[in-house]
Amino acid sequence: MAANETTVKLDGVSKSFGEFTAVSDLSLDVRAGRVFGLLGPNGAGKTTTIRMIVNITAPDTGTILLFGRRIDAGLQNRIGYLPEERGLYKKMRVADQLRFFAEIKNMRGKQVESKIDEWLARVKLPEWKNKRSMELSKGMQQKIQFITAVIHDPDLLILDEPFSGLDPVNVELLKEIVLDLKRAGKTIIFSTHQMEVAEKICDDICLLNRSRKVFEGSLREIKSSFGRNSVAVRCEGGDGVLDDPALVSKLVRHADEAQALLAAGANAQTLLKRLIDSGAVISKFEMVEPSLNDIFITKVTEPA
Amino acid sequence: MKKFLTVVKREYIQRVRAKMFIVSTILLPIVMSLFLLVPAIILSIETPPMRVAIVDQTGRMYSQIRQALFTDQQGTDTPNVNSGAPRTTTPRRSFSRFTLEEVNATSQPLDQIRASLDQRLRARELDGYVILPPDFLSQGKAEFINRNPGDLFSPQALQSAINRAAREQRLIDAKVDTKTRQDLFKPIELQSVKAGAVGSQQNNSNAGFAVVFGVGFVMYLAILMYGQIVLGAIIEEKETRIAEILFSSVKPFTLMMGKLVGVSLVALTQLAIWGTAFGVFAVYGVGLLASEGVRESIPNIPFLHFIYFGLFFLLGYFIYATIYALVGSMVTTAQEGGQLAMPIILILVVSFYLFWPVSRAPDSPFSFWVSMIPFSAPVAMLVRIVTQTPPFWQIALSLLIGFSTVFVIMWLASRIYRVGMLMYGKRASIPEAIRWARQA
Repeated sequence: MAANETTVKLDGVSKSFGEFTAVSDLSLDVRAGRVFGLLGPNGAGKTTTIRMIVNITAPDTGTILLFGRRIDAGLQNRIGYLPEERGLYKKMRVADQLRFFAEIKNMRGKQVESKIDEWLARVKLPEWKNKRSMELSKGMQQKIQFITAVIHDPDLLILDEPFSGLDPVNVELLKEIVLDLKRAGKTIIFSTHQMEVAEKICDDICLLNRSRKVFEGSLREIKSSFGRNSVAVRCEGGDGVLDDPALVSKLVRHADEAQALLAAGANAQTLLKRLIDSGAVISKFEMVEPSLNDIFITKVTEPA
Repeated sequence: MKKFLTVVKREYIQRVRAKMFIVSTILLPIVMSLFLLVPAIILSIETPPMRVAIVDQTGRMYSQIRQALFTDQQGTDTPNVNSGAPRTTTPRRSFSRFTLEEVNATSQPLDQIRASLDQRLRARELDGYVILPPDFLSQGKAEFINRNPGDLFSPQALQSAINRAAREQRLIDAKVDTKTRQDLFKPIELQSVKAGAVGSQQNNSNAGFAVVFGVGFVMYLAILMYGQIVLGAIIEEKETRIAEILFSSVKPFTLMMGKLVGVSLVALTQLAIWGTAFGVFAVYGVGLLASEGVRESIPNIPFLHFIYFGLFFLLGYFIYATIYALVGSMVTTAQEGGQLAMPIILILVVSFYLFWPVSRAPDSPFSFWVSMIPFSAPVAMLVRIVTQTPPFWQIALSLLIGFSTVFVIMWLASRIYRVGMLMYGKRASIPEAIRWARQA
């Protein structure tokens, strides 16, 4: 697929439930072959937006185009969707379950069986093939749920909080799979409120807050537009310097180091000099990019 | 359509393969036959015969009573070796057996007889005694002294026998000869013939009623057993939180229809298994009876009626099953649904009472309308079909209205379901459900 091709295009989409406005006047483009992060705090309208894309609800106003067409039953088969609210049939065997989810996407024949084996091997659960899903641990169930979204080889994969509740090893495993799918040319919409996760795998992002779009663009762009005005410091002493509002506008202390956002007009050189002058023993001093979290908070609190 | 079949297939295979299905298929007929057998076994437990003395002051009644009691009960009438007079019966139908004993009423004054009999009652040599006064035949009053007044059946059997004996004796006293007496009591036979039937062709609406009742009963059973399962199946995706994944692949209507049809096929499979088993037993039983010389006639019902029975059975089942589905679309747990579903069973039971007014006037406007309303149509229309078969267009219209209603209810249910799913864990009130159905 061409890099500039648009897989999903929303134009002026709004949706409200009674008095409550879930999404208001949202326009965005999800480019083909990229990982698109749909980010925002709880209740920002992420899930409603996704539900409109997969045709579970219809927008009140505005249009949604998938692969250049309006959504229909045929296009639904090209989407893989892992909702935040997800489960499995408790008493069904894993293989039967996966077969059902493949067939419900109109996938038929022998390829279903080979896909089941292939995916179970990939998430390292082949020996659970004939177990009932109620016998699986929560993490295992989550990996099976992930397979239900990808087994029919969708062109567009939509993942809503896919890693919540997983241990780090499995998060790493699924993250690798998502990146593999991206390399295979699939488009991925990734919805989360965990900015640190999004930061690691998204190419493009869209920030939503209170039903409105705050920012949309590539992660690179947004980070460079904010510039490198944060410093990661690990030092002993020098507390008075870091607390000086003329130098540091915001200070976040972690276990053994602190992150300092430079105040307007201040620069890193001045900060370093002042620290040394104060007699602090510095073991780390590094310019860092602002985290997505910082950007988000800045954007959200910024006056409109 | 393919997706619909996928849903049906999953629903059907998962349920038929479940242990629950196999166990209930085997167990239910056993439980049912136990229900029929256990009372029969309990009632057939032999109790010792009731020892009754008869003080016959008329001097003419004892032998008549004995005859009435013993011939009526078709028991063996063997003389008791010890006293000579008492005899024991072994009745086949009655719960009470008797040993009768005649007490000479002329040798002693009545008070002495009473006293000695009372003493024997206390000594438990006797269970009761009857005193027939000299004017018994004219006044019709006798006395029964019973050691166990709690026994409801024996006095009744005794009264009935004495009653018959008195009638017989009164006729003898009136000098009516044996043959006339027999002729007087010959039973009559009322043959019901359908108007316009050729020659003496018998009316089969009795057999028809029996079949309608049977169809109605099986329908009731199927709804009772499977309504709740339909409800559970509809809630399943909500409880397991699969609904949202599925709705990105299938329309809610397709999903719900698929689930309804899948569960219904399971119900039909189970009923077919039971029906076949029952049929085999029935054929075997009829064959057994035939070999013993009993002819059991198979009711003469037109073939077309069987098709109607099948169609209206399905209609009845689906109408009520879809209401369960509708309830399922509104609630979040099966327990809640169970409470909401109670009124459904009530409507069904009420529709059964239509049996009587409709069978009395099958062509009345009332019968017409109740056979068009989907909830009462299955019973009402079948009664009309076996009594005065209505014109074909009415039958077709009733089916059309009924099955359209099934689709409308399912469509409503799927709309409510979808909106309900978007608002997790919330049970819909009726006004909310209506609003959801509109806005979905």
